[in-house]
Amino acid sequence: MSPRERVRSGWHSAPIAIFGVALLILLGGIAVIAQNESTYDRARTEQTQGLSDVLAASTAAAVDFDDPAAAQQAVDAFAVNNQVRMIAVYRHDGAAIAGYDRSGRPVPSSISALPDARANVIRVTSPIVQAGQHIGTVYLDIDREAPARRISRYLVISVLFVLAALVVVALGLAQGQLRRVNRELAGRAEALTQANVLLEEQIEERAKAEEQLRQSQKMQALGQLTGGIAHDFNNQLTVIQGSADMLTRPGLAEEKRIRFAQAIVQSATNAASLTSQLLAFARRQPLKPERLDLNTLIRDMRDLLDRTMGERVRIVTDLSPVACRVEVDRAQLQSAVLNVASNARDAMAAGEGTLTIRTRDLGLDEDGKHFVALDISDSGGGMAPEVMDRIFEPFFTTKGTGQGTGLGLSQVYGFATQSGGEVKAVSEPGKGTTISLVLPCVDAALSQPVEAAAAGSGAQPSATILVVEDNEDVGAFAETLLTELGHRVTRAATGEEALEIARRKRFDIVLSDVVMPGMGGIKLAEALAREQPQLPVVLATGYSQDIVEGGSGGRPVILKPYRLATLSEALAEAMRR
Amino acid sequence: MHKGWRSFLAIAALTIVMASTAVQAEPTDTAVKAAFLPRFARYVTWPAVAMPKGGDPFLLCIIGANPFGGQLDDAARSQLIDGRRIVVRRLDSAAAAGGCQIAFVGGARTASILAALGGKPVLTVTDSDSNGQRGIIHFVVEGGRVRFFIDQVAASQRGLTISSRLLALAVGVSQ
Repeated sequence: MSPRERVRSGWHSAPIAIFGVALLILLGGIAVIAQNESTYDRARTEQTQGLSDVLAASTAAAVDFDDPAAAQQAVDAFAVNNQVRMIAVYRHDGAAIAGYDRSGRPVPSSISALPDARANVIRVTSPIVQAGQHIGTVYLDIDREAPARRISRYLVISVLFVLAALVVVALGLAQGQLRRVNRELAGRAEALTQANVLLEEQIEERAKAEEQLRQSQKMQALGQLTGGIAHDFNNQLTVIQGSADMLTRPGLAEEKRIRFAQAIVQSATNAASLTSQLLAFARRQPLKPERLDLNTLIRDMRDLLDRTMGERVRIVTDLSPVACRVEVDRAQLQSAVLNVASNARDAMAAGEGTLTIRTRDLGLDEDGKHFVALDISDSGGGMAPEVMDRIFEPFFTTKGTGQGTGLGLSQVYGFATQSGGEVKAVSEPGKGTTISLVLPCVDAALSQPVEAAAAGSGAQPSATILVVEDNEDVGAFAETLLTELGHRVTRAATGEEALEIARRKRFDIVLSDVVMPGMGGIKLAEALAREQPQLPVVLATGYSQDIVEGGSGGRPVILKPYRLATLSEALAEAMRR
Repeated sequence: MHKGWRSFLAIAALTIVMASTAVQAEPTDTAVKAAFLPRFARYVTWPAVAMPKGGDPFLLCIIGANPFGGQLDDAARSQLIDGRRIVVRRLDSAAAAGGCQIAFVGGARTASILAALGGKPVLTVTDSDSNGQRGIIHFVVEGGRVRFFIDQVAASQRGLTISSRLLALAVGVSQ
């Protein structure tokens, strides 16, 4: 049975009960009226008898002493009651002594002539008795209440009963209706709760499905990333391993030995470049920001760009004279420009087209920060939206196998965001592509260009060096290199050990790894600065969250993997300070 | 002839009936007074010592002149006072009036008889022929009807209580 049907059947049964109650009330009322009617005559008769007795007593003397005037006076006093129809006072011998008739006629002079009482009249008689002697009789006729009047009285009562019954009916119906509505509301609330529970379950399932999707996408991306890294590194490792194998052959000609050694160096450089770009994407690259002018940088790169783009690409520059200065890592910026440019070249059919490089002042943004844009546009084929969505993903590439690493735009993205800016791409198939590097402005003067390291740094004086490195292989390699350069080397495996050794022995310089168990390189440098402020410290790192976030405290940092020249230059620089 | 005789008889009979009715409807003042006298007893309360002993009747005494003849006896005979009969006594002087509840006093000696009854608990009644002397109740005729005065002061001096119903009928009450 549906709630609606229940409501209907309720409507049908409730009035029956209520009308039953109303009928009972009505029957009760009728019973009361009947009872009232039967007692009415008796009560009326008793009441009239009392009147008559009083009249008999008050006329006794007048009857006894035959004083009609006094008797009439007493009668008149009772005739004031307008329900009295007739009063007659007779002596014991039957003669009338006083009387009253509402119609104005005289009462019969003899008791024997008195007619019987009429139907709508109640007649009572009272003997007039004085001192035990019966001396006369009083007749008193009084109106029965008129039937019409009685009926109207009963009607009023009946109407009251009916009204009361109607009120009961109305209240009952209202109460019933209220209960039903409440029940219905409760039912709806329950249905709503159930629907809500169902919805929550669905939301939970959906969240699970989304989580699974995200997880699988993450795994896919991770697979792509690791696959890309493995592929590129394997290429370089193949060259290194092969060349090293060749070098171990006895009796190798001097010219071949140098060629294999150079191949190893080249492959290692390529591999280092790969890791550098990965770190750039991950924004873990230790940057060496300097203040520089974008226009000058582009002009300086013109030759490099011409060579990179080839002769069939025309390069147009549109450099804004009001373009502000920026504070970024010069090498990273150059790398980003080259990455975008080489993508542009590859996008242009047959390597033919126009590359436009523009600088634009963007003015202030909503937060009051000043930005400058470096736009690099090509006249190539453009990109589809689904490609656009993925261009900054590492190892995502549209180029053929072996033609691109898929890390170029990743480096651009990582560099721009790490430098406090962003990178935007605008492209449509057939209408070319524009990549915009947006960088924050700085107002300060340009940094002095770093002086080129003194040539022939290998000819520097011999020094006493403390090498701190937790990795045995790297430590041994550094010791070999530095010893080869003519320095005296002491090694420590931890920061604590290095601090201990430095207290016992004097050193000219400390070369420390940054990431080590226990006391790291930066902590060590700070501790040494307190104990021996004159002792220079050079930090070496592959990547370090600490340096990215907090800087190196002004100490020189060399990046792993480092070359012999880089190492000797950094040491010489540190010792000159 | 025959018809005329019958008419005469009818008229004569009717005349006789009407005449007798008129005699009944108009009793003499004396008869009315005689009828009233025993009835006074119903409206008066005597001290216990003055009441008749045991089942003795009330005594209605006529002292001095008797204007009623046998009428008083007839009137008294039909009356009962709380079940007691009323007996009429004719006395010459007040000396023997000690047992009377009601005493009608008349004639030339009225003053001396009333004085002799003094403060005795006797309801004295006088008539208009009493030379200006008045008992507790005194008959008068007013507008052709027999009425009476009541001297309530004298009544209460003698220990008598008169019902207000009777007082209401009096033409005058001395208080």
